[in-house]
Amino acid sequence: MRIACTAALFFCSSLAWSQSEADLADGKATFRSNCAFCHGLTGGGGRGPTLNSGRLLHGSTEQDIKNVVTNGVPGTSMPAFEFEKDELTRLVAYIRTLAESSAKSAPVTGDPVQGRKVYERSGCPACHRIGMEGSIYGPELTRVGAGRSSEYIRESIVNPSADIPQEYGGVTVVTRDGNRITGVRINEDTFTVQMRDPSQNFQMFRKDEVQQVIPETKSLMPAYSSLDKDDLQNLLAYLDTLRGDLHAGAGVTKAEGIR
Amino acid sequence: MIRALSLFALASLLPAQNVTYDRLVHALNEQQNWLTYWGDYSAIRHRDLNQINTSNVKSLRADWIFQTGQPGTLETVPLVVDGVMYLTGGNGYAYALDARSGRQLWMYKHGFPPGRKGSGANRGFAILGDRLFMVTPDANVVALDARTGKLLWQTEMAEFHNGQYTATLAPLVIKDKVIAGISGAEFGIRGFIDAYDTATGKRAWRFWTVPAQGEPGGETWMADSWKRGGGSTWMTGTYDPELNTLYWGVGNPGPDLEGAVRKGDNLYTCSLVALDPDTGKLKWHFQFTPHDTHDWDAAETPMLLDLNWKGRDRKLVVQANRNAFFYVLDRETGEFLMGKPFARQDWATELDAKGRPILRARHEPAPEGSRTCPGLAGATNWMAPSYNPATRLFYFAVREQCDVYYTSPPVYIEGRPYFGSVERGVTEESEWGLLKALDPLTGETRWDFRYVHAPWAGTLSTSGGLIFAGDADGYLMAFDAKTGKNLWRFNTGSPIQNSPMSYMVKGRQYVTMPSGSAVLTFALPVE
Repeated sequence: MRIACTAALFFCSSLAWSQSEADLADGKATFRSNCAFCHGLTGGGGRGPTLNSGRLLHGSTEQDIKNVVTNGVPGTSMPAFEFEKDELTRLVAYIRTLAESSAKSAPVTGDPVQGRKVYERSGCPACHRIGMEGSIYGPELTRVGAGRSSEYIRESIVNPSADIPQEYGGVTVVTRDGNRITGVRINEDTFTVQMRDPSQNFQMFRKDEVQQVIPETKSLMPAYSSLDKDDLQNLLAYLDTLRGDLHAGAGVTKAEGIR
Repeated sequence: MIRALSLFALASLLPAQNVTYDRLVHALNEQQNWLTYWGDYSAIRHRDLNQINTSNVKSLRADWIFQTGQPGTLETVPLVVDGVMYLTGGNGYAYALDARSGRQLWMYKHGFPPGRKGSGANRGFAILGDRLFMVTPDANVVALDARTGKLLWQTEMAEFHNGQYTATLAPLVIKDKVIAGISGAEFGIRGFIDAYDTATGKRAWRFWTVPAQGEPGGETWMADSWKRGGGSTWMTGTYDPELNTLYWGVGNPGPDLEGAVRKGDNLYTCSLVALDPDTGKLKWHFQFTPHDTHDWDAAETPMLLDLNWKGRDRKLVVQANRNAFFYVLDRETGEFLMGKPFARQDWATELDAKGRPILRARHEPAPEGSRTCPGLAGATNWMAPSYNPATRLFYFAVREQCDVYYTSPPVYIEGRPYFGSVERGVTEESEWGLLKALDPLTGETRWDFRYVHAPWAGTLSTSGGLIFAGDADGYLMAFDAKTGKNLWRFNTGSPIQNSPMSYMVKGRQYVTMPSGSAVLTFALPVE
């Protein structure tokens, strides 16, 4: 009797164990094929934020993560996903194991105050925008610390061509009189191309009216590979602090109206 | 008074649209009309109309636009019968228009049972006598009175089952039967081709594209995987009246990307089947992609060409397949004659003497992803090709795009995708597209025109020396059929997922290309 009970218990618990193991494997498979592309194979981040640091931007409870997956994050590249209820539960269970299983990404060292000086001294605001300051030519950095892993940002600084977001691909147009105009490609079809130039202006062309349209294979951003080691670390520390609201300053002031 | 009355009575007895089977067989004798989805039974999509030609096409302009006002993108190719245009919209809508003005004559809206999702694209009508036939998103075949748009009969092809079975294609009328296929291989269906009596809607025969265990071909399926084996038949077939043979492309096996649960060749998925249209009996089959795991179904147009093949006049069927090979088969026997790649592909080293692909290693979808060309959408797809008898070239849209294919264990839940994973574009590589003019006798490219994006629109050839084509950025374009020079273009304002057609009314030639939710029709300015 006792033996039977023990055996049954053992059997039950081993079943439960293998079941949850199978669930996690399912969750992992879903993660790999849907999330890893931006968040890395083990959640180390990349184009998307790190998921293994134990601190998630939009909350770390099961429900918080489910909300983000189901609704996406407006104003970012995080889309809304339509998963089956069980599939979502398995996926979120797997995401919650990432912080435990992997080596936590170390906090970014360096001095953010010095980093801000490096940012300004190196001419970054000429292309990038933080809040309402800087240029709209390059990617906005208001929220870059929240949206990108530190490793990704480091690579973007020293080797910007390693990963070029599609919306910041470059293009050069050679006009009939030999002028070369390079900018960020906004749109292109077989017969026309539209870009934004470094002066933040739209430049729009019909291809049959220009000499040549050359897609840029490298990033339009120069590689800051010669930055001093400390400067780079301080700059990374500064960028890591940028976790602002994308829509800061976009508030609507209501007129009082006629009384 | 009496005389007027009797005239009226006589007129009411004459069918407004008497499209006999004989007219369908000889559809190319009526170049002003467009009587079947493909324009005729062979699907060459060439019109002997040259009012619009290489020297005046630059003056082509929008003549009228019909806005359906419905969401979704029109994928329909209209029929034109003696000045009346019949077209289906998405979501169970259909319309008859004055083909000269675009003014509406009637509208039909399919009645969906309560609680049933009634959305989905549709590709067009078939006609016989004064009856029009279409399918609906909830997998019904519907017969309408061409004069009024009133419902005559409707037959459920398969139980809707939470949206597993759907239908999108334009049916094909042969003799007294209307033939239609089914969609849903992404939802774990078992595919078929059906024939219905045009008068009553009663089913005449069914050909299962996935044979059951014990039937010929059943041994190509593991265990009972055939029950959810897919094999959709979502594009219209072609027909040779002399051979009395129907040719139909069959879609992918299910689950799409996960082959381990359905080991074997998985007949008749990714195949061309040749059927007797009177009985639905299989005459022969040819499988382009055995045991497909990349969703490369064979729904692309099986075009019928009579050409001199190596010194002998032969009846051929040709297809530019989604798997990136252009195939030539003998359409009397199904014999494989030639298969040549027409786009980047890295999954097969070559085709063997019987046309079976010799696979390269490491191109199966994998849990960690596996990059393969072409991508899931294929090197071409359902958009129609055309053939010009003067240039003897085959004109079609090519998609140059690769994917990373992932697998994950497929779980079957009724009404939910049964896919076995996802694919993702290789985003580091930009896609592009081509309009390609290919010699069907050699598979060699005569010319091509490069698009910035991979297209979803087909082609039309005319004796005006023109090829009309569309692209993913919304352009309807005209090209010189001989040289590939772009002679004219118009941006329709929506990505085009359709194929152009042409017709003539009262001596004026029109070119129609539905785009977005609008039907756009072009003509030369009136002098």
